[in-house]
Amino acid sequence: MPISVTTEMPTSFKVEILRALQDFTASTGNTFKLALLKATASGSGTFGAATTNYSNLSTDELANGNGYSTGGNTLTSVTPTSDGTTAVCDFNNTTWSGATFTTCGGLIYNSSTTGGTSGRACAVLSFGGDQSVSSGDFQIQFPSPAASTAIIRIA
Amino acid sequence: MIGSVGGALIGEFKVSHVSGRGFSPEEIAEMALEKIVYVGANSHPAIRDQAEAFKGQIREVLVRYMRQAVASHNTTLMNRFRDAGHPELIKLLED
Repeated sequence: MPISVTTEMPTSFKVEILRALQDFTASTGNTFKLALLKATASGSGTFGAATTNYSNLSTDELANGNGYSTGGNTLTSVTPTSDGTTAVCDFNNTTWSGATFTTCGGLIYNSSTTGGTSGRACAVLSFGGDQSVSSGDFQIQFPSPAASTAIIRIA
Repeated sequence: MIGSVGGALIGEFKVSHVSGRGFSPEEIAEMALEKIVYVGANSHPAIRDQAEAFKGQIREVLVRYMRQAVASHNTTLMNRFRDAGHPELIKLLED
């Protein structure tokens, strides 16, 4: 069965916020990464609200090389703030340069060890199908950190 | 009465990719603009018009300075190629 991925906030993440296991504070907070999945037909996992950890990607993560390093890109977090009554989180856009691969989605995860565990999942991202790049740049653009748009927000 | 609207949500992100080259100053300027100026869907038309005009001005400035940065970096690379004994590679940057 091919990879199935839907853009979702993992249920475990919601619990971990309340347990203070996810700290998005810039510089002094945890380290967050974005790992990429293989092409849809090249894997078999299901990723969405039930995804709890980077380790869930296992063999469905994009192979090392061709512009991609196992574990993914480290994200630069912007300290969460509020927009009206909504708490918003933001990351700088991230780019894989000189890349040649096909990917169908990704996982933002906490690579720091918190509560004795590293790799806690934060957001599952579906790219709406396979996205391919050949000897070029591949970029994920995060939305404006506003109440109705921010990549991670609590309304 | 207890009212509740919202919850923990994921926003809409974009995936951009180009093959056989890197992003151009114009493409990167557009990405930067989306971070700098956000015009809400429910904004008043007059405010939206002003924001769009401002966005246009910022776009021009970003593209101009990004082109300068590329040209300046190329100058640095040209010197590195020359210093490394490969002046023939400079032509690649001039094309």
